[in-house]
Amino acid sequence: MTKPIQKVAVIGAGVMGAAIAAHMANAGIPVHLLDIVKDPEDRNKVAREAVEKMLKTSPAPFMHPKNAKLVTVGNIEDDLSVLKDVDWVIEAIIERLDIKHDLYAKITKNRGADTIISSNTSTIPLHKLIEGQDKDFQSHFLITHFFNPPRYMRLLEIVTGDKTKSGIADRVGQFGDVVLGKGVVHCKDTAGFIANRLGVFWMTTAINAAFDQKITVEEADALLSKPIGVPKTGVFGLVDLVGLDLMPHLSKSLLDNLPKDDAYRSAYRDIPLINKLIADGYTGRKGKGGFYRLNTDGGKKQKEALDLQSGDYKPEKKAELAAGDAGRKGLRAVLTHPDKYGEYVHSVMIPSLHYAASLVPQIADDIISVDSAMQMGFNWKFGPFEMIDQLGVDWFIEQCEKLSLPIHDLLQKAKGQSFYKTENGVLHFFGTDGKHHPVKRAEGVLLLSDIKRAGTPVAKNGSASIWDIGDGVLCVEFHSKMNAIDTDIFAQLQKATQLIGDGKGNYKALVIHNEADNFSVGANIGLALFALNVGLFGQIEELVEAGQKTYSMLQYAPFPVVAAPAGMALGGGCEVLLHADVVMAHAELYMGLVEVGVGLIPGWGGCTELLFRHKAKAGPKSGPMVAPIKAFETISVAKTSTSAAEAFDLLYLRDGVDRVVMNKDRLLFDAKQKALELAKDYAPPVKDRTIALPGPSGKAAMMLAVGDFQKKGAATLYDGVVSEALADVLSGGKDADATVPVDEDFVLKQERTSFNKLVRNEGTLNRIQHMLDNGKPLRN
Amino acid sequence: MTEVVIAGYKRSAFQLANKGAFTKTRSDDMLAEVVKALIAETGVDASLIEDLAVGCAFPEAEQGFNIGRIVGQLAGLPQSVAGVTVNRFCGSSMQTIHDAAAKIMAGAGEAYIAAGVESMTRVPMGGFNPMPNPGLAAQSAAYISMGETAENVGKKHNIARVAQEEFALKSHQKAAAAQAAGKFDAEIVTIGDVKTDGGIRGDASLEAMAGLKPAFDANGTVTAATSSPVTDGASAVLVCSLNFAKKHNLKPLAKIKSFAVSGCAPEVMGLGPVSATHKALERAGLKLSDIDIIELNEAFAAQSLGVIKELDLPVDKINIDGGAIALGHPLGASGARITGKAASLLQRENKKYALATMCIGGGQGIATILERI
Repeated sequence: MTKPIQKVAVIGAGVMGAAIAAHMANAGIPVHLLDIVKDPEDRNKVAREAVEKMLKTSPAPFMHPKNAKLVTVGNIEDDLSVLKDVDWVIEAIIERLDIKHDLYAKITKNRGADTIISSNTSTIPLHKLIEGQDKDFQSHFLITHFFNPPRYMRLLEIVTGDKTKSGIADRVGQFGDVVLGKGVVHCKDTAGFIANRLGVFWMTTAINAAFDQKITVEEADALLSKPIGVPKTGVFGLVDLVGLDLMPHLSKSLLDNLPKDDAYRSAYRDIPLINKLIADGYTGRKGKGGFYRLNTDGGKKQKEALDLQSGDYKPEKKAELAAGDAGRKGLRAVLTHPDKYGEYVHSVMIPSLHYAASLVPQIADDIISVDSAMQMGFNWKFGPFEMIDQLGVDWFIEQCEKLSLPIHDLLQKAKGQSFYKTENGVLHFFGTDGKHHPVKRAEGVLLLSDIKRAGTPVAKNGSASIWDIGDGVLCVEFHSKMNAIDTDIFAQLQKATQLIGDGKGNYKALVIHNEADNFSVGANIGLALFALNVGLFGQIEELVEAGQKTYSMLQYAPFPVVAAPAGMALGGGCEVLLHADVVMAHAELYMGLVEVGVGLIPGWGGCTELLFRHKAKAGPKSGPMVAPIKAFETISVAKTSTSAAEAFDLLYLRDGVDRVVMNKDRLLFDAKQKALELAKDYAPPVKDRTIALPGPSGKAAMMLAVGDFQKKGAATLYDGVVSEALADVLSGGKDADATVPVDEDFVLKQERTSFNKLVRNEGTLNRIQHMLDNGKPLRN
Repeated sequence: MTEVVIAGYKRSAFQLANKGAFTKTRSDDMLAEVVKALIAETGVDASLIEDLAVGCAFPEAEQGFNIGRIVGQLAGLPQSVAGVTVNRFCGSSMQTIHDAAAKIMAGAGEAYIAAGVESMTRVPMGGFNPMPNPGLAAQSAAYISMGETAENVGKKHNIARVAQEEFALKSHQKAAAAQAAGKFDAEIVTIGDVKTDGGIRGDASLEAMAGLKPAFDANGTVTAATSSPVTDGASAVLVCSLNFAKKHNLKPLAKIKSFAVSGCAPEVMGLGPVSATHKALERAGLKLSDIDIIELNEAFAAQSLGVIKELDLPVDKINIDGGAIALGHPLGASGARITGKAASLLQRENKKYALATMCIGGGQGIATILERI
């Protein structure tokens, strides 16, 4: 049994160090954040100001402002004694070996016997870092390379050396995985580790090729993004994001440390235009701009892009290219598209994938590590080896040969095969030994994709499937477009409920989960608009009632229902979660009742549930306005959580009931365990809640507030109409009175009435149309 | 008729609500400290006090349970001293002074503590269960927001935004100067370690104010800078007959010469001081030109300027130590502050007559005229 890591110190309160400390706090780990003394009068100033700054940074390094309290600031002159009580010290100071060595000497004097030390270096090899350190230090030392920003980037590269004691990497890896929620990838002690080495090669190749082939910045980014499964920043946008000035540092460290014959050396080029940009302060988004900039001259905002040939900024011209559209037909269609754009992508991707293929096992033991690193470190949808599989290994080798690229051992061995394949329902990967091996998941990791690979669904329609995830637990998976909720999803939820029955047969519990980026963005408003445009109000009314019935059925089912969402859970997607027995929430959960944005109110029990939750929180003796006002404040402005932690504040999640899971890969396992635990002696909730609502007096108060918001310009004219419909629900409407408690069916009926009133308004239809056309709410 | 005097004035520091030093301090605890200090400093025999009247605009939650009685016990007053809560919104604690004076004049007691308190942090404006009469709300401005009334006064009198900002700046500058000169030290009771007002901004500038967005009306002129901030604070004065003061060796600051309340249209509640002041002056047999010291509660700059215009008030006599825009306006506490302040200014400045007046949400004004002893 290894000792769990319970307390951490981070030395270096720069952008990375501070944000790593913040993420420790996000995980509930108390952390010391130390930096140098710059002001003798205010000795902790550097670290303290770093924390203060993070509380104002967007995207926020903290998942909740209260997490800042877990960060204890200090300085390395007065506070090194705290190191003896911490389990792990992370060094995240300037990338200078001499300064790091000075610090390590101080750490050695102050650390506890079992304290692990790691560096967050991205450029200095481990063997240089431990040079001259004592043996015990060396045996407790490793590199833990977080990606910026650490809260949001999943990758954690762990590098150990020969001298690192066995078990240390596992201890840190386990902690990184379970507690911090990171995707841990073990790397060899080679320059740039995995992600930066491959990423920098890819970016360099793409930039050089754009210069050579006269491809514009906009064109390059339009091609090297969605069409090939890469984030929309593409290449130039990505350099702007990470900072142009970072690139020379990364390339220098690679050139200093890579083998003499490494392909990067020939790919590397010093580009005078980029040097000039950096010198002039065009360092990217953090500076005056980079390959893109926002020109605000003359009071107007104009997005401009750099013309690589002339070096001047010109108004951005969004590129719409047939080669990009070909991405829908697969990666190979993009690379073989018969124009200069297809050629461009080919000239970037073949060498980049070839570079990756040439580096296993030098940089990592297996191809999974390489693929995972690029997926989690650069947010690529597919790793290099998955991409080679998509292209076809043999075709890929042909292309490499055409470019006179050497075919290394691993590629040779893979000829005629693929890097990944499914055998007996189990995913296998191609090993350096030339054989396929089953992919093993860590204990506590259960992936729906693995279950899907292994079998067929219990039931399936166009929008959702039911999977048997073992031990008597069913899982409903949404898979409609953007996981929008529709009647097909209701049908599968109902079907699963029937299958489980009283929970005493073959099945005993239900989990609602999917592996998409977003759990669900809400109801399918496209379908709703269609029905409304042809006047099928009856159909909409049925849909509203069906949703209420389905969600209520989940809430009062004779078996436990556990939801395991990640990403966005909005509108109807939020409401389904409100009706689960327990939500096992991924830490990055963005939950909100956002219906007002499309001129509606939550109609599937969202108003009702939030109202009863606020009442329960305020207590039975709270006045009749307390719960309605709170729910009104949340729903009327579509408050959405920026993390699971914040969802508790909004009562979208319940203290003591719902849980947060840091690692997305562990969601389903934890949800299943929770469902099984609940299934023992499960007693469904009794439907007996009542609430005293204020009626017209309460509505008057809400509408007075809305009037004030409208006057100050914070609410629009139509917001007033939507708010009134919401006030009718939350106040209980014209017949409610504070002396006569009502039950939840009463409130649900108010929801339906208000919803059905709104859908008949032009203003609501305009909002829905606008949202579908522009992806943004209409402010009518 | 029995002559009634103000024989002592104390207050807490005023701290911005939701961010100042009193966000975690209960209203009753805060006022109890002020009452204790008032008794200690005046030297009055507490057992001779008839009643402790506490003005509070939202007397519920921590300000509920008849806070007048609660504070008396917290402050260690003898059980014989009664306690009452008085609500006239912003005029609440000036009302407690009027009530005390009237009762003393009627022979119902000789000494009262007239006090006020509001934690706008812990009991928000409107309270926790705002339930307006829906019929009235639909057809009148009875529940109109205060900011909107300020806009209305501004419109009625064509008060430019910059004029409001200059007025607000002046308030901060006067308050900052007074604070620097220690002119608040005698009136403020230290609570915990809080002994200075938190809202005063000596560094306020017209440039910074000009950059703010309108706070209540997108097309309006009133901003956060030209409104009194939501504030936590408490205040208290000792009101007694002149004979009582003499008999017990108290040091009266001023005689209560006259007082009045008056209603007006809720849409322009800020102009409430106009008719209330006219009534009080008439009852005192004085003209405005007789008044040397004016404490006009600065709910809003637009509102204050509207009152100044309608009454033709001499600007240099108003709020010489700054007003509510700088100091803050803890609703229930402001009336006793400005009345106690006016009384002490008569002493400090060696002047004869003072006017303290304020507007009241819902459409009212209240005024008190004092004469130095």
